[in-house]
Amino acid sequence: MSDTEETQDDKDGAMEAPINSPEVEAAVEENVEPEIVEEVEAADEADAADSVDAAVVNEPAPSGEFVATDGAVLGRDFVLPGVAPGDNDPYKWHTGRKREHGSTDAIEIVDVVKQFGRTRILNGLNLGLPDDQISMVLGPSGTGKSVLIKHIVGLLYPDQGDVIVKGQSVPDLSDDDLFEMRKKFGLLFQDGALFGSMNIYDNVAFPLRQHTDKGEDEIESIVTRRLREVGLGESHYKMPNELSGGMRKRAGFARALVLDPEIVMFDEPDSGLDPVRTALLCELIKEVHAESGGCYMVISHDLGTARRIADFIAVLWKGRIVESGPKDELFESDNEFVHQFLQADVHGPLAMD
Amino acid sequence: MVKATATKAIEPAKEFFTEAGEMMILTGRTVMSAVKPPYPYGNEFIGQFLFALQLCWFPMLVSCVAFGFGAPGLQAANFLSLFGALDRLGGFFVLASIREFAPFVTAVVVAGVAGTAITADLGARKIREELDALQVLGVDPIKNLVVPRFLALMLITGMLDIYALLFGIAGGIGAELLYAQPLGGFFATLFSNASTTELAASVLKCTLFGAIIAIVCCYKGMTATGGAAGVGRAVNEAVVTALLGVFIFNYLFTQTMLATNPDLQTIK
Ligand SMILES: Nc1ncnc2c1ncn2[C@@H]1O[C@H](COP(=O)(O)OP(=O)(O)OP(=O)(O)O)[C@@H](O)[C@H]1O
Ligand SMILES: [Mg+2]
Repeated sequence: MSDTEETQDDKDGAMEAPINSPEVEAAVEENVEPEIVEEVEAADEADAADSVDAAVVNEPAPSGEFVATDGAVLGRDFVLPGVAPGDNDPYKWHTGRKREHGSTDAIEIVDVVKQFGRTRILNGLNLGLPDDQISMVLGPSGTGKSVLIKHIVGLLYPDQGDVIVKGQSVPDLSDDDLFEMRKKFGLLFQDGALFGSMNIYDNVAFPLRQHTDKGEDEIESIVTRRLREVGLGESHYKMPNELSGGMRKRAGFARALVLDPEIVMFDEPDSGLDPVRTALLCELIKEVHAESGGCYMVISHDLGTARRIADFIAVLWKGRIVESGPKDELFESDNEFVHQFLQADVHGPLAMD
Repeated sequence: MVKATATKAIEPAKEFFTEAGEMMILTGRTVMSAVKPPYPYGNEFIGQFLFALQLCWFPMLVSCVAFGFGAPGLQAANFLSLFGALDRLGGFFVLASIREFAPFVTAVVVAGVAGTAITADLGARKIREELDALQVLGVDPIKNLVVPRFLALMLITGMLDIYALLFGIAGGIGAELLYAQPLGGFFATLFSNASTTELAASVLKCTLFGAIIAIVCCYKGMTATGGAAGVGRAVNEAVVTALLGVFIFNYLFTQTMLATNPDLQTIK
């Protein structure tokens, strides 16, 4: 699940349409549902523009509406990924329970709804991420974790609801204020997002040159230290396309931390890394956090990573939080979905489809 | 069912108008961003300008000479020789080359060579999330990427228009020589028909072609989706849309120019 090609596939799938999401593709391989297979093949041939229509596959039965436990009735005019036709309460596991974490929230997501075409990715999401702790957002592939990060940094705007970072509403900020606000963020993108025209050193130095008045000497010492920390001390002058996926990830990691940001978000920092490097990276995250503090948010599929570094865990599924709370409490949760997910159990509410 | 069919039919049209609208907005934001300080795009501007020049000069030279020699040159000379009026070829070149062919060849070459390079470059950056990363790092992609490309393409198309004129006329001279004509008549009618208004309009028009190409190509690149295949698709759409835009604008511009300057219609 965690090599670069996998990430690349995920990415390409994500670009097309929900029907091509990894789960469905996996379902295709196993031939679980012959009808869906046909549809999927048709959708594959169709142009990306058409693929929105192909998503009709998991449209609910004409009679049925989604009625969530909290009384929300979701119309038929959109598709929710992972919700089967006739599934009357896709939210039966979502208690939305938020356990006490003993800190203030640095980031608050309030009733956020986000829809791409007819596919609703976030559906009334409520989430608070505690300050001065390492939070982890877990969830099945394609549930909108990367989309969530983009809302927090103001790259995407919610259709409804609000995103509040350090007391400021991100969607309401003017462009200038948003640029100012972004200086507080350190962000590692899922694919590293290094600048292809610059070598690794310049990539990591970029935020310093952009946002600070530091001289080249000082920049050099910071960049060298950060690159050594992630094991790229020898690769200063390599270009991003000469690096492996894992090395790009680590370079992106160094770039995210170079400004000592108050809010750090890592989108799958451990995908594409070998187990030892993953463990070392976890140590590094904890060290840096202990050193400079701040609100850290880590997205990962790796339960080992969750055990090692998380203080706070939130589980995202079907566009809402199933449950969130301090790590130990969540690992012991009696919620069936949370239990299944955190124990990687094949039996439970979550299946391939 | 009916609704689904109707949606299918309306969807492409809706998409077209949305895109056209978004390109207008991008144009507005680019112009605003270009004038509003700070001006961090100097180096990128020079880089893009030299890059476009490097890519375009040779294709331009070949296209202009071949086109000038072939289309207005040989064809028109053949026609004019019927009346024994080959000296009129110079005058015809004012109409043909200055007014239409030079800007036309420039637009086609710049869109095909420099425009596609811009779309491919920005598209690849979009796909690799570099544009998102830039924004998060507090760099405005419009100011730092679109504005320099916009200005560089405007400057280069304006300049290449003159270049296209000169080489197009060289093609015409070639045709004249092929018909064993003295060049005196060619130049006489060329200069009697040419006017500074005509030349200025040609350069202005071509500069605006550059603006259209830059906006369309940047827009298509920055909105590319769907992995590497998506970048290919974006490049393809960018050339088609840019040239369509250029031709429509060309028609409007030439009509307006002739309507406001009726004396240009008189052949001297
Ligand atoms: N710009 C976009 N336009 C259309 N759909 C999008 C866009 N961005 C994301 N999506 C869709 O949103 C869904 C969630 O995507 P996202 O990348 O957030 O998943 P994820 O939770 O990060 O998954 P993974 O763990 O595999 O990275 C996907 O189905 C994807 O197709
Ligand atoms: Mg993701």
